[in-house]
Amino acid sequence: MTAVAIATFDSEGAYLRARADAIARDHRIVGEWMPYASKALGEGEGRNGILASVLAGGALGGFGLFALESWSAVSAYPIDSGGRALWSWQAFIPAPVEFSALAGGIAGMIALFVKARLTRLNHPAFDWNEVADASQSSFVLALGCDEGEDANAALDLLAGAGATHSRLLGV
Amino acid sequence: MSDAQIAHVRDGGRRWTLPSVQSFSHVTEAVVAPMMDRPASRSYWIAFAAMAVLTLIGAIGIGLSLAYGPGLWGNNTAVVWGFPIANYVWWIGIGNAGTLISSLLLLTRQKWRASINRFAEAMTLFAVSMAGIFPILHLGRQQYFYWLAPYPATMGVWPQWRSALVWDFWSILSYLLFSILFFYVGLIPDLATLRDRPGRRGWRRFYGVLAMGWQGTPRQWRAQDRLHTIMAVIAVPLVCSVHSIVGLDFAASLMPGWTESIFPPYFVVGAFFSGFAVVVLIALIIRWAMKLEGLIVPAHFNVMARVILASAIVMGASYGAEWFSAWWGGDAADIRLVVYEFTGDYWWLYWLMLACNVAAAQIFWLPAMRTNVWALVAVSIAVLVGMWLERILIILNTLSNGYEPSFWRTYAPTLVDFAILIGTLGAFVWLFLIFARLIPVVSMHEVRELVSEERA
Repeated sequence: MTAVAIATFDSEGAYLRARADAIARDHRIVGEWMPYASKALGEGEGRNGILASVLAGGALGGFGLFALESWSAVSAYPIDSGGRALWSWQAFIPAPVEFSALAGGIAGMIALFVKARLTRLNHPAFDWNEVADASQSSFVLALGCDEGEDANAALDLLAGAGATHSRLLGV
Repeated sequence: MSDAQIAHVRDGGRRWTLPSVQSFSHVTEAVVAPMMDRPASRSYWIAFAAMAVLTLIGAIGIGLSLAYGPGLWGNNTAVVWGFPIANYVWWIGIGNAGTLISSLLLLTRQKWRASINRFAEAMTLFAVSMAGIFPILHLGRQQYFYWLAPYPATMGVWPQWRSALVWDFWSILSYLLFSILFFYVGLIPDLATLRDRPGRRGWRRFYGVLAMGWQGTPRQWRAQDRLHTIMAVIAVPLVCSVHSIVGLDFAASLMPGWTESIFPPYFVVGAFFSGFAVVVLIALIIRWAMKLEGLIVPAHFNVMARVILASAIVMGASYGAEWFSAWWGGDAADIRLVVYEFTGDYWWLYWLMLACNVAAAQIFWLPAMRTNVWALVAVSIAVLVGMWLERILIILNTLSNGYEPSFWRTYAPTLVDFAILIGTLGAFVWLFLIFARLIPVVSMHEVRELVSEERA
């Protein structure tokens, strides 16, 4: 890749048009940034593993606490409390139910960090001013241009789709 | 609210932002400018100082209680719960509502949540923090509160898992931490906005660390959106279970008026009721103080007033069910309790509670009242007073008038009781004032999406 054509759009519609045109004309999308979750991009996407992480974390936390309650009440510290059964499983349920929600949330958070590649505070994309605009007001699309490709054609495509600003970046 | 703004509602318009908010950058500036670009106003600092004083009063009350023990409170041999548990239930109720409102409205795809969910969730964090103080204080030997947590102690002692106190510990802990995560997941994109916006380098670094390198790529949005929705699905039953457990603290006992299966849902509705009242108050203050008229519109108050009205009707039905159950069941102690509620030592508080919780909100049958600032403020405050009275009267009416006449004692709170209550009120508002200067009070990325849809 020798150059990147990058453009900003002030509406989701214009951005989606540019994206569709780029795909239709075999341009390579090297980056997309947006100020909110565009539902249009989510359609057709498969599961991203976050649900599985939440379920696994919740089950582990819930059953783990229930096991701890059972072991400590029956084996490690058996005390007679008003003649109630040592393994009073009904009374053991509320705490694991509550904790499983928390454990699931923590597991989901870890999954989010992994899936979204967060915690990487410094990234080359942050050097492009357009990316900073994306978190505030604009949709941003970047197309890669290889050697021999007409970078200006990519720029024209972006401008034609309604970009409010576009430019070429050398790589 | 101005006639033009009210007409905006009456025209049947379902826009949740005013037409003046046209672009995404308008949204960003409307939310960020009051917190970062403009210095805090004189009234802000007056409120800040006043709340700091109230917090200090509460800290003194807590300090005295730690030094001299629960003997400084109004609790007696019959009314062993008193203010600490009533305050706990009241605060946890308010705290439950924020996450419930946010998650329930997210799952039911209510677009209007975008402008209120952020401060409703913040309300949860601060209210649950206040709630957590009271059970610890009420332990008497507060220094040992950590015994509620399971850990490999030297003496081999483990918590008493069959105690309802342990349920409270896990429910508050789990709920508070889960709510922080839920709040943070929704906040990450807005932290990136603050990082990327021109401003002081130190603050941008601060927000940059909190934003964790968020860029706003489709991959990140999909993951964030997915987790946010999944957490909302978990949050709804979690919230209901937390306040149900608080209800079970009462219902699992064998006292007249408490042993009722209606208590868990009755507590959840009460939480929703008082929480919405606080959200209305906060929305009014934020709208005025931060000049967010374009994002928090009369339609929001219209719909929230309807929710308060519906909740008041359910509360009235709950009280009616309690009286009917006593009469229909025929148990002498239960019937005596109902008579005592209306005519006993706390009769005027009980009548005041009914007026605040059931009668006051009926004014919202009039459409004009649902967007009238003074009516909204008056009813919201009445609901909060009424719900606090309900919490304290559940304790006082039953414990002052139990099965054994020799145990009948009336209850009178002390100055220390009031100091701690006032202190938590002050600390709650104080934390909110700090929050309003540090964190965007409205979810910018969700409002941008709303603006995009409405503009289309």
